[in-house]
Amino acid sequence: MLSLCANASAPEDTAAARELVASLGRPAPARTAFTEARFMKMLAQPLVVSGELAWLGGDRLERRVDHPSREISTIADGEVTQQREGREARHFSLRRAPQLQLLLDSFVALLGGDAARLEQSFLIRHDARGEDWTLSLTPRDAALARTIGHIDIDGHGREPRCLRMQEADGDLSVDLLGTLAAKMPVAPTREALAALCQDS
Amino acid sequence: MRHGGRWLLLVAWLAALALLGAVAWQRLRVSTDLRSFMPAPATPDQRLLMEQLGEGPGSRLLLLAIAGQPGERLATLSRQLAAALRQDPRYTQVLNGSFDIGALDERLLPYRYLLSPTLDHQRMDAAFLRDELEQRLDDLSSPAATLLKGLLPRDPTLEVLKLAERWSPPKSPETRDGVWFSAQDEALLLVQTRAPGFDPEAQVQAIDGIRQAFDRLPDHGGATLTFSGPGYFSVVANAQTRGQAEWIGRVSTVGFVLLLLLAYRSIGSLLLSALPIASAALAGIVALIVSFPQVHGITLAFGFTLLGVAQEYPIRVLSHRRAGEDAVQSVRDLWPLLLTAIASACIAYLAFYASGVGGLEQLAVFTVTGLLVAGFSTRYLLPRLLPARVHDVAAMPWLLRARRLAEALPRPRWLPPLVALAAAIMLAVAPGPFWQNDLSALTPLPKDLLLRDARLRADLGAPDVRYLLVLQAVDEQGVLALSERLEPSLEALVARHAVDAVELPSRYLPSVAVQQARQRRLPDRATLGQALREAQQGLPFQPGLFAPFADDVEQARQLPALTPARFAASPLGQRLSTMLVSRDGHWLGLGTLSGVHDVAALRALASQSDGMVRLLDLKATAESLVVDYRTRILHALLVATALLVLAIALALRSLRRAWHVLAPMTLATFLVLAVERAAGVEISLFHLVALILAAGLGLHYALFFERDTGDAAEQRRTLHATLVCVASALLVFGMLAWSPIPVLRAIGLTVSLGVAFHFCLSILMAPHARQG
Repeated sequence: MLSLCANASAPEDTAAARELVASLGRPAPARTAFTEARFMKMLAQPLVVSGELAWLGGDRLERRVDHPSREISTIADGEVTQQREGREARHFSLRRAPQLQLLLDSFVALLGGDAARLEQSFLIRHDARGEDWTLSLTPRDAALARTIGHIDIDGHGREPRCLRMQEADGDLSVDLLGTLAAKMPVAPTREALAALCQDS
Repeated sequence: MRHGGRWLLLVAWLAALALLGAVAWQRLRVSTDLRSFMPAPATPDQRLLMEQLGEGPGSRLLLLAIAGQPGERLATLSRQLAAALRQDPRYTQVLNGSFDIGALDERLLPYRYLLSPTLDHQRMDAAFLRDELEQRLDDLSSPAATLLKGLLPRDPTLEVLKLAERWSPPKSPETRDGVWFSAQDEALLLVQTRAPGFDPEAQVQAIDGIRQAFDRLPDHGGATLTFSGPGYFSVVANAQTRGQAEWIGRVSTVGFVLLLLLAYRSIGSLLLSALPIASAALAGIVALIVSFPQVHGITLAFGFTLLGVAQEYPIRVLSHRRAGEDAVQSVRDLWPLLLTAIASACIAYLAFYASGVGGLEQLAVFTVTGLLVAGFSTRYLLPRLLPARVHDVAAMPWLLRARRLAEALPRPRWLPPLVALAAAIMLAVAPGPFWQNDLSALTPLPKDLLLRDARLRADLGAPDVRYLLVLQAVDEQGVLALSERLEPSLEALVARHAVDAVELPSRYLPSVAVQQARQRRLPDRATLGQALREAQQGLPFQPGLFAPFADDVEQARQLPALTPARFAASPLGQRLSTMLVSRDGHWLGLGTLSGVHDVAALRALASQSDGMVRLLDLKATAESLVVDYRTRILHALLVATALLVLAIALALRSLRRAWHVLAPMTLATFLVLAVERAAGVEISLFHLVALILAAGLGLHYALFFERDTGDAAEQRRTLHATLVCVASALLVFGMLAWSPIPVLRAIGLTVSLGVAFHFCLSILMAPHARQG
């Protein structure tokens, strides 16, 4: 299998990863449906929300949640703004939520097809299985990697399908993207989602 | 005197000077705090001003801006600088916009239910908790999850965030990368110093501390740190004035030395003639050290100015020496007149002692001591040191011509009334207000500094330094309760844009009564447990997750209410303690105002409070103090004038002769005043002091011109001495008159004009000499 030869340090693999990332780029604004399941130690069951993710160009990202309740979060100029129906907007600095910063970095780089930027923030491991691929992103900042964990992005062809963010405290969030967004199980489990993301 | 004896005397004199210098150096404590130079306050507002001048919360704020690097870099520098300054006891509050959960320290965390207004309109029941928990669930599925995750088990209602919001400045600037930024891309910080704002010396240390902390930051290269705020301004104004005065002082000293060399052609005489004035200054300082615990910087500045009179004593001695005559003999002839001059100057300055103002009393002690020491050392020490061979100035051809010219000048009888009339007309039609009451107008700041301050102040919503809301009650709790009662009406004023923002003490700490009311609304452990269970029904939170929350609520129920004293251990408590002051058995709360647009509305609010709330206008109060101050100086002057007339009349034993001395002096003084007023100059305290110095010099001119020895050579010597004195005074003060700094210009212009007028009028009004 190809994946056996895959190795982060191999130059041909780096080249392949760059080529892949470059092929993912699309013009802003780029929108995609998403369904997210969050597994947290605090919670007995995962939280599931769905809506639309949009890259508005530059470092601006919009995350619109339609279900179970409406909420729009925007990230712009290092500031996160959250607007929820019937409530005052909440603002906080991106710096105070480093996980979010990583998410933004990976997302913007992917949608912008910007391999250089992605490599700047992350060590990249690239796995390919025919048309299927997985990019494993580990923050280059060791302290950040220790507290935050890593991000896996699964895709097929030119389409990213899944974004899995593993936090250091064991919490996990899985975003199903695009066409896969409709396929969230009623009672998702970590294992079921991993399988869903990696099999096409 | 024998050669050896002369050397012995010189060495002894120098040794005495060194001793005085050493005492001065060791023991002199110079205070720069403006308050110690001010008169005792008479009204309650003035008293409050004196106490609060520079100590009010607003005047201790420094506004900082970091610029010159990309935004992200500046944000990091802002965070690092704030972290460093928060460790430093010289600063009571450091704000840069970053959310600071540590503002409420760990031990005080359970107090959040007593400090936050949530429970005022809300019961901590199942319905409330359910709503909060549902919101938290939404939070957990939002980007804010990582931010709030850690807080939830202990604080599911996010009370800490509500408090942080309440405590952040009412009008915050734009936040980028987690810290404040101005529209000009500078990272902004607000630092409150422990040191009072109008104590330049203490502010220099506070500002240096910030600069050093900034310089120690890693990678700060390329970024610039700029300051603004009252404390910084007092430092800038001080440094500017001092720098200019020193520069001008150096140049005019060189000119002065050259002038004396030209006049007396003897380096030895020149050096020796510096000894009386040096003795005067040192003796004056030592007298101050002995009589007062602290010496004010302004006393020294004014004092050295007034001591300028004493420089005339050695000049008179040098000019009046005759060829072949012993210096001791020359002085003996001169002494009665010199003594009259010294005594009258001392009498005039002594009047300041009776003014009852600390700074002026010091001034009197300094100048009187200085004049006496200068006078007596000129009489008894200097002549014994002067070289025996001299060159008699009376023989100089130009002086002969000058004397003939002066003698040929007409002495019209109509001149004095004409000058008096002209002065009266000029005073009557002069434009603008007569007095300058705004002391800060004398040390103005560069326009760009003021513009930057206005911009930063608007960006940061920093409080106005002019107005202060003063709440009065019998105790601290009374002040806090009053502050709570006032909140709604002030919020209404903010809504009406009468004022942009108000910061009251109760913003940081509610009164004990309110805290206890909130405490009573907290459920007991069993009730809360039941409510939590109910609220969690059907929500996915793990059972037992909120045990830390239940523990905190239980603890909050039993805590003693937070008092200002207990609160003072935390940074926010420090902030509060600057807003609460105790005085004469009652307490005052100081509320700061930002962006005052409608003073009348605030006054109206205060007037409805039965005197419990007052709007303190610091500027108007400071000006009323200056007016009091000036009144006292004027009274002192009146007394001094009466004493002077008496002293001169007694010394000369003739009212007619006293008239010849005093009339030109008085007329010239009014003429200076009239000319300055006609030119649009508003008269300040500094003008008054300068007028007094000029009058002192004028008194000398008049005294010596009036003296009729019947000896033409002696008359020429008198003219020579007076010309040297006039030239040196014009040189020194004429240079000051060109200074762009108004306070220096005020002194320079007044003394220069004064010297010129006194000189001309004392010649023109002196009687024609009998030709011997």
